[in-house]
Amino acid sequence: MVNLEEIKKEAKKILEEGKVKYIIGYAKSSNALMAAPTFVKKPEDIDKLIWDPTCFQNLVKFLIDEKRKKAREKEPDTRPIGIFVKGCDSRAINVLLQEKFITREDVYIMGLSCEDVGVLDKKKIFKKLKGEKPEKIEFDQRKNIVISTKEKTIKIPLKEILAERCLECTSSFPVISDVFWGDRNNRSPKEPFKCLEQIESLSQEEKWDFWQQQLSKCIRCYACRSVCPMCYCDECVVDSINLAITADTTAEEKAQKIKWIEKSPESSENFGYHLVRAMHLAGRCIDCSECERVCPVDIPIRFLNKKLEKVTKELFDYKAGLDPEQPSLVSSFKDEDPEDFIR
Amino acid sequence: MAEEFEPKIIAFLCKWCSSAGSDLAGVSRMKYPPNVVPITVMCSGSVSPLYIFNAFQKGADGVLVSGCHPGDCHYIQGNFYARRRIALVKELIEYIGLEPQRFKMSWVSAAEGKKYTQIIQEFVQELKPLGPQKKLRREK
Amino acid sequence: MEKILTKKSFPAWIKKLQSYTVYSPEKQENLWSYEVIQNPDKLNLEHLNTVLAPKKIIYPQREIFLQFNTSKEGKPQIKEVLPEEHPAVIFGVRPCDAKAITLTDKVFGEEPKDPYYWSRRNQTILVGLTCNPPPSPNCFCLSVGGSPHSKEGLDILMTDMGDKYHIDSLTKKGEKLIKAAENLFKPASSKDKKELEKIQRESEKKIKREVKDIKNIPDKLKDMFESPFWDEEAMSCIRCGICTYLCPTCFCFDITDELTSTLPLKGKRVRTWDTCQFPDFTMHSSGHNPRPDKASRLRQRMLHKFQYHVENYQDYLCTGCGRCISLCPMGIDIIEILNKVIDHE
Repeated sequence: MVNLEEIKKEAKKILEEGKVKYIIGYAKSSNALMAAPTFVKKPEDIDKLIWDPTCFQNLVKFLIDEKRKKAREKEPDTRPIGIFVKGCDSRAINVLLQEKFITREDVYIMGLSCEDVGVLDKKKIFKKLKGEKPEKIEFDQRKNIVISTKEKTIKIPLKEILAERCLECTSSFPVISDVFWGDRNNRSPKEPFKCLEQIESLSQEEKWDFWQQQLSKCIRCYACRSVCPMCYCDECVVDSINLAITADTTAEEKAQKIKWIEKSPESSENFGYHLVRAMHLAGRCIDCSECERVCPVDIPIRFLNKKLEKVTKELFDYKAGLDPEQPSLVSSFKDEDPEDFIR
Repeated sequence: MAEEFEPKIIAFLCKWCSSAGSDLAGVSRMKYPPNVVPITVMCSGSVSPLYIFNAFQKGADGVLVSGCHPGDCHYIQGNFYARRRIALVKELIEYIGLEPQRFKMSWVSAAEGKKYTQIIQEFVQELKPLGPQKKLRREK
Repeated sequence: MEKILTKKSFPAWIKKLQSYTVYSPEKQENLWSYEVIQNPDKLNLEHLNTVLAPKKIIYPQREIFLQFNTSKEGKPQIKEVLPEEHPAVIFGVRPCDAKAITLTDKVFGEEPKDPYYWSRRNQTILVGLTCNPPPSPNCFCLSVGGSPHSKEGLDILMTDMGDKYHIDSLTKKGEKLIKAAENLFKPASSKDKKELEKIQRESEKKIKREVKDIKNIPDKLKDMFESPFWDEEAMSCIRCGICTYLCPTCFCFDITDELTSTLPLKGKRVRTWDTCQFPDFTMHSSGHNPRPDKASRLRQRMLHKFQYHVENYQDYLCTGCGRCISLCPMGIDIIEILNKVIDHE
């Protein structure tokens, strides 16, 4: 069992020793059902750290900010960043290492096993509570959640309100870490891609109707991109700043620069954005599902990424984030890669 | 009488093989449908999925990516990378409900002018019954 | 003019409004959204906060300004596109969202008046609903000068009184709406009025969150521009556009030309929402960005809402709907930030 006191002890130790610059962990937020990222710099602040199934966020995202910040500093503090990672988050670290975006010395990985739980799905709780506001939540042995609202107190088995990705998770413990808490029991869901069946079984026109309806909702807030630890491009294709500007750049050149995807939240543009993003995450997405969690208009973004995860597994026997040494999916090939679709 | 639908195909052809193959078809005066707009790229491996999606957004009824046969790439491995990437694009396109027939990949060498004309002929025949591609197309 | 309408005859009223496009909140799988009413009998006004405010109807995310084309002789041809005739009624508008519209009214009402905004605004009738209970746990309208039964910006305010609605018609537009089905309404008795007052008092008590000492915030912020406070608060920001796009008061936009053809030059000029939280919002064409990091962007959002707008329009650019709190992926809480601002030394 992961013991929070042990984590705090370790956090205190490494901060006191000056081993890390700071620790990225979780603290309570004003919302009882969601933790917030916290950045602990002083040993006396460790008491705000928490660890429970409301720790949704994939904190690896913040390593990208840290790297950018460091690049701007004249004399950067080169000590590693302590970071809490769950199983899925650790795979994100592996992809960043594989792509040489960060080095192993940049991070002090504090691995936390989800054991037989995972994180909650806010939408499932929303349904259970029928819109009532949770005042207080407690976890009972990591088996049940006890939610008190003004009217009543209800006890829900965690299994019923865990995020889908946690129910389908194949390695619920960090695959890379410096310190580790909890167990390393592999889970083996029988059908890891079962969630896709419903869409895959649709006819072609039904598929189109489904995605057209979903992606038309997109308001292009780019929260999916912003929260994704794999979305670290200096310039994203949807941002209109992708032009190197010098003193000689003419107004005409600026006006003529290619705009691949327009700002209008129209169906065609939204497809452009989401398809490009899905492609860019092929072989990189580690299924933390943060994109889907944060979407304010409920687009099932995970189904796009999960589909490519499945295709990648079936066609190329490739799984993202398990080994920082493996070549990345699209910068490698095998002679026996399928080509029956090529004329 | 209504005019028969003539599909518009955008073809990304690698400079060293497929583009040369299409030239061979041309200089050999082989006949093939005029529905294709060829865009020469340095290598099939340089075709970003973005080009493909954007072609559909701009109103292509079909998109073809064509490169050298495996082992013949001018850049040694470019077409192997393309093979992987295009396989993914193909799956994704089918998954979102665009007709999979609208997207093709082929290996055409500089000597295969005949094969190029056949591919285009077949592609046009397959696209005709589908009608115009409106799903990903931008409103005019 | 105060009237009473039974809940049973509510659908009948809506059916009388055929000459309008009628919107109301609709429950979709996990969220509420303002949509055109398809079936008045299924109408449900027990909505939580909608994800997007009714702002999306009056000030849509995308607006075509003009279309341009080049004639055969190479002459430019420009055609202005104004919004179509679109008389609309929006039911179930929360008082905070209506207040927000009065705020954007001031901005788009500056000369030259924005014809696109006003064309929709003038044709839209806002029918509000007293929030009892509040639609979100993060409601804090009382702190920013609103209330769960505020009439500001509304044409009609409805209040749920069990099996009937109390209908308070506030403007000529509202009168017109009631005249469309006059026989359905009964005058409100003095007993009804008493009950209404009671409901309004209760509704205020149900707002649980508050910003302390908000009157001093604008002054306090003036001295905090250079403070490292913003770096700390913005640490967990991921710079998405949720807080601003979902905000009922945020009005920033971008104007771009969308080309459909380069030769001949053809396309349209469109306005789309934009947000100070995106890196390219302040990007100069030289490549310089005066707001280079997320701390400066969070600061901009706070200062615009609680300092600059107060200086320019004597009102906060925030109506306390709580959307930015409820939907921030990282749990950044505007109330907590404001309370920290007050305590800041």
